[in-house]
Amino acid sequence: MDPFLTSRIVTDVLGGLTNGVIYGMVALSLVLIWRSTGVLNFAQGAMPMFATYVGFALLSYHFGYWPCVVACIIAGLLIGGLTERLLVRRLYGKPEINPIVVMVGFLIVLEAVAAAIWSSFPRSLPSPFSSIDWQLAGKPIALSPFTVYEIATGLLVMTAVAVLFRFTKLGLQLRASAVAPEVSRLLGVRVGRLLTLGWMLSTVVGVITTVLVSSNFFTGLTPQVMDGIFAFGFIAAAIGGLESPVGAIIAGILLGIANQFVTDFVNQNAVIIIALALLIVSLMIRPSGVFTKRTERRV
Amino acid sequence: MRLDRTRRRAPIAMVVAVVATVLSLVSAATTREGVALSIAFDLAIACVTTLSLPDLKSSHPVVSRAALTLLALDVAIFITFFLNSSTNFNLATGAAMSIVLLGLSFLTGASGQISLGNGAFMGVGAFAMAIWSNHHATTPIFLTLLIAVACGALVGLLLGLPATRLRGPYLAGMTLAFAVAFTFILSSFNSWTGGDSGLQLPTEATAPRWLDGFFHAGTSPLTTTTLYITDFSIIVAGVAFFFMANLFASRTGRAMRLIRDNDVAAELVGISLPRTRVAAFIVSSAYAALGGALLTLINNSVSPQTYSFALSVTILSLIVIGGIGTISGAVIGGIIYAFSTNAISWITTQTGLNPQGNFASQLNGIIFGGLLILTMLFAPLGIAGALRHLWSRIRSRT
Repeated sequence: MDPFLTSRIVTDVLGGLTNGVIYGMVALSLVLIWRSTGVLNFAQGAMPMFATYVGFALLSYHFGYWPCVVACIIAGLLIGGLTERLLVRRLYGKPEINPIVVMVGFLIVLEAVAAAIWSSFPRSLPSPFSSIDWQLAGKPIALSPFTVYEIATGLLVMTAVAVLFRFTKLGLQLRASAVAPEVSRLLGVRVGRLLTLGWMLSTVVGVITTVLVSSNFFTGLTPQVMDGIFAFGFIAAAIGGLESPVGAIIAGILLGIANQFVTDFVNQNAVIIIALALLIVSLMIRPSGVFTKRTERRV
Repeated sequence: MRLDRTRRRAPIAMVVAVVATVLSLVSAATTREGVALSIAFDLAIACVTTLSLPDLKSSHPVVSRAALTLLALDVAIFITFFLNSSTNFNLATGAAMSIVLLGLSFLTGASGQISLGNGAFMGVGAFAMAIWSNHHATTPIFLTLLIAVACGALVGLLLGLPATRLRGPYLAGMTLAFAVAFTFILSSFNSWTGGDSGLQLPTEATAPRWLDGFFHAGTSPLTTTTLYITDFSIIVAGVAFFFMANLFASRTGRAMRLIRDNDVAAELVGISLPRTRVAAFIVSSAYAALGGALLTLINNSVSPQTYSFALSVTILSLIVIGGIGTISGAVIGGIIYAFSTNAISWITTQTGLNPQGNFASQLNGIIFGGLLILTMLFAPLGIAGALRHLWSRIRSRT
């Protein structure tokens, strides 16, 4: 075979794609919540992390990987819904920093409680697929059954969210209540319920991301597993524009690939520094994001 | 008429205060506590006299603030002479932290924005301090502190320029990314920052010779150094608070508060939003760097593990619990920080938790995170706001 698939560039792109899909999903879940409730959810990494710990607690009762994943998703639905009902609902219409501070507090509490119950040592989860890269003529290509599982699941989730918002009645209601809550309410949309649903949805996207990240043989599950990924997810969302789900996904994937190139050609430490520099430059050039149209603000 | 008299009397009282201090210092000959007592007494009388002048607050606000700061410093320093070394050490770190908290409080109180990266800005100051002292050991401490502050301000400008122009949570997110990135930045410059083990200061900060006898406790050199560094930190904090109190009340400070409350109105009266917001962020970063540099001085070393994302979160918790947007909140937060480690280990022993267990090691996060949420939901202005509310109720009753 031609050495194309094992060349340095292609290896980097394929390797970066895996992380990119993860960043894209985090960015997407941030954008979903930001658009519907105007809250930048700083616990968007911690809530799914907690749900993942809860779901995988079933392992000690001899359940397999997939039942545990289902349990994680159910836990995520509950945590997302309860958070919106009990915590976030009190913050609508408050100054901008209030929800930020509360969600940061929630992040600390969740990470501390998770570490208190399950300890902060990495916990290795069973992996449904092998993480060993496929070989081509004696050289590894940057794909393994596990990374294919990651990428495929990620793309599936993104497509599902897109279909939900674009082509279903529920999606239309979700969009309507985000854009014009008062009008939607007058037209009979149960806005309150939809906001809860939006948080549940976004948490589930986060749970799937966390499960993918932490069932990777090389990372495992820790209370801080999502901290760094959250930072990259936010950078992607801000570059793509907090208003644009598609922009967030594209920016996330590109950021993942860019990171892989930096890791390969510079070093591991430089990754987040370059990402931060990218964010600064992109905000300087296009403050409202690369993929959004500029809108005027009315007083 | 009354106002005129105040105008004349206020500066005179200040001069009296300063003369009294100098005289006491010069006559420092008897026992340490005796001298401390006499100075503290003189100074307190001078300050109280100044503060009791009628209409001082409105006619000479700067003088009034100076007298108040001096009085607070006087009392605080006097107390440190009677505390043991470990309590003094805690107080010193609390003083350093209160400077950082004041910067964050100002940012939020003045521009309505929030930074999640002040721990990293502290780290900028802390490492700038250590790196500079290791290369130029002869630079006076004050100059090194100023260099650290300048470094913090510069990094603040770099990050603040893009983020503060935007509405929305961009500054919070970007500073979070900076806080997460900071440890990686440190290890990228291993040869400068000393890698995982961090840096030591070349010499310990000791009292200048003309003050040495005053701080000499006669017990051990350690006690003397700790006492000196504690009082030094408290004085630096006092100066920082004095400047901030004036800034809060200045034209710039008022412009900033207007931006927080109504940015459109602010723009209409001719305030430049981006410029003012960036300025507020730079001030907050510079204050964080000052606090960090002071912490390096107190610990005599700096370690990269200190300046993780967790520190930024701790800073946020402290100022929210103390009272964000207020000056007194920063003092309260600093005091909480000074004694939080002791308090938490006290709780651990009282409740019979295993000190090495998972739960005890996470108690800090659970308590601070929980208090952060509860404060924001039920008393958004923290302890300072609650005290102010209580005070106004007492006053309205009489």
